[in-house]
Amino acid sequence: MNNPASPESPSETSSFADSPSPVDSYARPSDVHFAPTISRGARVRGQQSHLQNTVVMLLAGGQGERLYPLTRDRAKPSVPIGGNYRIIDFALSNCINSGLRRILVMTQYKSFSLQRHIQAAWELFNPVMGEYIDVIPPQQRNVKRWYQGTADAIFQNIYMLEQEKPAYVVVLSGDHIYKMDYSKMLDFHIEKGADLTMSCTKVPRAEAARFGIAATDADNRITAFVEKPTDPPTIPNDPDYSYSSMGVYIFSTEKLVRRVIQDVKQETEHDFGKNVIPRMVEDGDRVFAYEYEDENHSVSVPPGEVYWRDIGTIASYYEANMDLVKVAPQFDLYDDNWPIHRRSQPGPAARILSHGEDRVPVIVDSILSTGVIVSGARVERSIIGPRSFIHSWASVEDSILFDDVEVGRNCKIRRAIIDKHVKIPAGTTIGYDLEEDAKRFTVSPEGIVVVPKSMALT
Amino acid sequence: MNESPSESLILLVEDDVNQRALFEEELCDEGYRVVTAGDGREALSVAAEHKPDLVVMDVNMPVMDGLDTMARLLEANRHVPVIIHTAYASYRESFSSWSADAYIVKNSDLTELKKTVRDLLAKRSNSDEKVA
Repeated sequence: MNNPASPESPSETSSFADSPSPVDSYARPSDVHFAPTISRGARVRGQQSHLQNTVVMLLAGGQGERLYPLTRDRAKPSVPIGGNYRIIDFALSNCINSGLRRILVMTQYKSFSLQRHIQAAWELFNPVMGEYIDVIPPQQRNVKRWYQGTADAIFQNIYMLEQEKPAYVVVLSGDHIYKMDYSKMLDFHIEKGADLTMSCTKVPRAEAARFGIAATDADNRITAFVEKPTDPPTIPNDPDYSYSSMGVYIFSTEKLVRRVIQDVKQETEHDFGKNVIPRMVEDGDRVFAYEYEDENHSVSVPPGEVYWRDIGTIASYYEANMDLVKVAPQFDLYDDNWPIHRRSQPGPAARILSHGEDRVPVIVDSILSTGVIVSGARVERSIIGPRSFIHSWASVEDSILFDDVEVGRNCKIRRAIIDKHVKIPAGTTIGYDLEEDAKRFTVSPEGIVVVPKSMALT
Repeated sequence: MNESPSESLILLVEDDVNQRALFEEELCDEGYRVVTAGDGREALSVAAEHKPDLVVMDVNMPVMDGLDTMARLLEANRHVPVIIHTAYASYRESFSSWSADAYIVKNSDLTELKKTVRDLLAKRSNSDEKVA
């Protein structure tokens, strides 16, 4: 996976030295030796590798209110998905598949579950080789506040960058489902001599008003960046499409540090998309759009389309799960070239039991996780989480069950998300009468019923 | 708005008694009012009491160093201009020094310090007018 940049690309330091910092000409350290150093661990072969001079800062601090009640007890990146996975596993898998092995996960709200997951699933890194994954809660070094926004989260962790002094910082969000090779984007960043590179997908211009949209010139340099524009700019030579930001950024470290310091001194929302990036573009920083190259080579994705999903709402979460269970899944978990790593659950393999002619189990288009037992029940287009048990004559359709859910005999469940440790008594019906369901559960505007974790039902 | 220098209050943070006296006198000669502190912790309480218009901050000090002190000052008032004034150039490599509006290596010739103070106060009063 290592993809060291070609020797002729500009060195880390040259792009910094060229232009005076617009932040502050006084403090511009003309005599500063801004050499990237790896503070911890040995450096592996190929000391010039840009990947080794790069730190990932993964922002996992949002409240995830729109995913409530799935986020009642956990941060959004920690929400289970696809049976065995957590949402954050996709971004982290992209990191290791891209050769990025210095990762800081910035948490804030309800971080316990996430911390545990990372400990259990992601302790894959070798400190001797300078690799690490660190989970960092707000430390309140010299500030008395929680993270006010994405840029403030970086500002409050400047000390972490100080320790490492990487040449580049990859800023990611923990709530997207996609396969991306960040090393290709890093090569692009270096080749362009960029201060900031923003990964973008093409969206039809008609839908662009919902996103952060970049206007670019022929060289892909961003000339304007606007959130939710009324008159979205289009891609040069492609008037039906616009470049939409994916919230994936690569910064040259010095520029990042200066820009977040500048932003924090002003009255803004301290958000990259709303404040920092528009300001950088206005002030003439070298900001480039990198067109997202999809590493998900599923045959079910139509040619010319890419797979990238933002898990913002119950509906988008539900759809992303359903993308995994189709006969030919949109998102390919089987591709050995881009494996998605997850926590390995101990326990026996799934079992499917029959008890005679009237209790023959029927399971189609579904994912069964470790330790599942389906006993004489019907499961269609569903994801059954680890150690869940579905009893005879029950029917589960178009649903997502988390870990340790027990579905009693004769239950009928349709279009529902059942969180962990819920015992559903025999004969219960969920998803067939939404008005009735809404009295007990959360029902999304699209009619998806969510039963919260550990809810006691009679 | 009256822009005469005497309107401006400078907090001078410097642990060395002789240097503190020298810089204080020179800044007073420029027409500023000056309050002083001998270490970071003292600087925080003086700043809270006097609300200076600008801070000149040494780095190597007992009790609390200048970089940590600056971060706390800025947390209380993110708009106050801070000049790092130290005998060492090496603190420029510390990202935490980049929150300062200027970084000046100590010199027997105080021209650069005085000019920087003047410019930063002018910049500040301009932006104050914009706000008003």
